[in-house]
Amino acid sequence: MDDQACPRCKTTKYRNPSLKLMVNVCGHALCESCVDLLFLKGSGSCPDCNVPLRRSNFRVQLFEDPMVEKEIDIRKRVLKDFNKKEEDFATLREYNDYLEEIETIVYNLTNNIDIVGTNKRIEQYKKDNKDIIMKNKVKIGREEVELEEILEIEKQMEELRRAEIARLEQEAKKQKIREKEALIDELMFAEGDAKDILNTFAQNKANKQEELVPVVPKVTQFSTGVKFTRVSTQPTLPLIEEGPLYKYEPLAVPDRCGPDPPSIEDIVACGYLKHVRAESETEKAGGYKSTLPCLRALQDALAGLYHAS
Amino acid sequence: MEESILRYEKIDFLGEGQFATVYKARDVKTDKIVAVKKIKIGSRLEAQDGINRTALREIKLLQELQHINLIGLLDVFGQKSNVSLVFDFMDTDLEIIVKDNTIVLTPANVKAYMIMTLRGLEYLHQNWILHRDLKPNNLLINREGILKIGDFGLAKAFGSPTRINTHQVVTRWYRSPELLFGARQYGTGVDMWAIGCILAELLLRVPFLPGESDLDQLSRIFQVFGTPSEETWPGMKNLTDYVQFKHFPPQQLRHIFSAASDDLIQLLESLLALYPPSRCDCTQALQMAYFSNKPAPSIGSKLPMPSNISKIEAEKPSLKRKLLENIDGGSLAKRLQF
Repeated sequence: MDDQACPRCKTTKYRNPSLKLMVNVCGHALCESCVDLLFLKGSGSCPDCNVPLRRSNFRVQLFEDPMVEKEIDIRKRVLKDFNKKEEDFATLREYNDYLEEIETIVYNLTNNIDIVGTNKRIEQYKKDNKDIIMKNKVKIGREEVELEEILEIEKQMEELRRAEIARLEQEAKKQKIREKEALIDELMFAEGDAKDILNTFAQNKANKQEELVPVVPKVTQFSTGVKFTRVSTQPTLPLIEEGPLYKYEPLAVPDRCGPDPPSIEDIVACGYLKHVRAESETEKAGGYKSTLPCLRALQDALAGLYHAS
Repeated sequence: MEESILRYEKIDFLGEGQFATVYKARDVKTDKIVAVKKIKIGSRLEAQDGINRTALREIKLLQELQHINLIGLLDVFGQKSNVSLVFDFMDTDLEIIVKDNTIVLTPANVKAYMIMTLRGLEYLHQNWILHRDLKPNNLLINREGILKIGDFGLAKAFGSPTRINTHQVVTRWYRSPELLFGARQYGTGVDMWAIGCILAELLLRVPFLPGESDLDQLSRIFQVFGTPSEETWPGMKNLTDYVQFKHFPPQQLRHIFSAASDDLIQLLESLLALYPPSRCDCTQALQMAYFSNKPAPSIGSKLPMPSNISKIEAEKPSLKRKLLENIDGGSLAKRLQF
């Protein structure tokens, strides 16, 4: 690792111990300061091969050989689409052929062999298997979520267990102190032989330990045994329950204690409106009608006519 | 008088408006939870007219109105120069429900809300009263899922041939075009328009026509329904505040409410008719196909509630009260000072 050097500025790990080499999709390394310098604008081209690169795609080089880094990138990209599983194939032979094909594609792209043809092959594959790719993507996403949930549950379990152990330890410590005090008290105030007292206490202690041992709860929960349910994040749609359908019922008319006033239709038909000031066009445009005061006046006049004190 | 003040134990502060402060209180006599609205004594200028006008309207009208879908005025009492009104306690209102995006409103829920609103309003109109301030905020809902129309501070009798009304009523977003044009003589149409806007808001989950000024409100209306002409709205030009608007073509409501069924679009169209006389009234609206068609309206207990109001509480009020009393120290009940 000591002879690591930035191909551009030739800085070595020896001269700059904090040297960090970064790689992008093309597999050519650059040191961190060169990346800062060259990709000030966020994008630029690789000084080695002139491939346009984005600054955000630079990452720290993990392997000594930058070709490995390049292959990892390519593999990641290819596997995003070539996401079939063994279950998707009828025979083992077909599955192996499929894996072989992936390897060929990755090898070709890494070593710049027939890049155009290989990319065409990927495109063709994507077109042919659009549905399966989408389906598997969703499946993988779900599996990831489930895995995360399992991990979360395990973490919680671990915490619980740790808390429990800490509590038990605390208890044991307290118990010990208490016993010691009791022993000293006994030795101080009891009348019997000191040796006897010591013996009985030791006996008691041994007995207690025997009792205590099986009490320690052993929480053994592993991923395989953990039960979990996917908690839906969306609000659950309320169940649509069929109630009775609505049927219009006219409002109960209060007891007016008088004859029923005529309806609006009667008012118009019988010419009652002749006795009310007709509405002007402006009033009508505002939503006022002469039938309103006419009906109201008739209602008021007729209400209470039957009232006898 | 002294009795009344002792009758209500303050539990909680609920809110404060321009004219009043509202408290949650318990009626000691009936052991019911109520809302007590304490009217503020306004400035000397307001006070010289006597009691606050909006409070007077509420007292005057609500005392005689009895309907399941109208807020019930249970009691009125006064102390010194203050007046307090005691109402049914309501847990939430439609504005909160519409704005709560964790709540899913099903078509059945919307239908149930509309039926309750229209039935309350039908009763109100039949008794010759216009509400004149209908908006989601004034449609109160309790935990049994019963909707009641509240806030009668602007309500007024209608149907007089001579009386002139003010057109400065109704919150702007729910104000009908004739009011915006300054009509002084109007009818039930002003309330029906507001109902249409509320229905649209229930579907869209955002205010349908959120105008920023009165003129902006009109242009928003016309952008949707098209600018009316003298043929479609005779007499429009004679209205006091009439202004000529740019010609907008009408839009298809179906495109705005893409998820709404045909019968619902039909209801919206007749509630939001520009020409007031062609707007439907409550009885006509309730008789429309939308209400009798499937899906059936949700029953009260199935209506959604904001998450902070749990329904379990409603089933066991006594337990909750006991707990509350224990927290408060039981014997040290707070008294309302009015």
